[in-house]
Amino acid sequence: MGRPRRFESSRVVAAAAVLFDSDGYEGSSMDRLVQVTGVHRGSLYATFGSKRGLFLACLRVAVTSTAPSGSGLLLVALGELASRDEEVRAICAEAIDAWGDQAAHELGRRLLARAGLMKGNE
Amino acid sequence: MNNVTIDRSRGMLVVEPRRLNKLWGFVRRIEVSLSQVRGATHDPGAAQEYKGVRAPGLGLPGHKWVGTWRKDGERHYWNVKGGRDVVVVEVSTPRFNRLYLSVEEPRKVVDAINAAIAHQN
Repeated sequence: MGRPRRFESSRVVAAAAVLFDSDGYEGSSMDRLVQVTGVHRGSLYATFGSKRGLFLACLRVAVTSTAPSGSGLLLVALGELASRDEEVRAICAEAIDAWGDQAAHELGRRLLARAGLMKGNE
Repeated sequence: MNNVTIDRSRGMLVVEPRRLNKLWGFVRRIEVSLSQVRGATHDPGAAQEYKGVRAPGLGLPGHKWVGTWRKDGERHYWNVKGGRDVVVVEVSTPRFNRLYLSVEEPRKVVDAINAAIAHQN
């Protein structure tokens, strides 16, 4: 398996989540992920399997938390991956289900806020 | 350059180096059971990193890397030309831990591989 690397997975996921939130999925390169997590490329691959694996780890944390930043990752997932990735779509569906009837409105509101188009605060 | 396909009937990921590279003798057709594939990533920056020790392989820095490299106790298969369209496939086989492959349509290859293995997690 290689020399064991020691890093705290939750810290790495948190750092990666911030980048995915700001730059999007395709927009976040492995170079940048290495930079923001401080973890070697090989270690990221060994731990998460792929950039997608790392994003999924971030998304799962995001949809279980109520922090405002969580919705950013959900919007990235919906916009960039859900249509072509069954697993991502399933995670998004579950998160949206939890909002019930207000889901579309809530998502629209968050998307506008993210775009800086909401009056007042989010 | 590589042809990367998924043979669903046998549950295998098949990597076939294109003509010229095979003649170098450093690379070969590789078949990996999908159960041993952990993920695929389009990673244009991967070719710029330190690769480790050639074992055996041929490297033309900035241009081409063909063969096996050992790094951090792992064995990596390289068949990369240039750097932009590089797909990194994380595997756990007795022979290799990771494959670095130049392909024509990186996103398509990555999506196909990740979709093929998604159900086994």
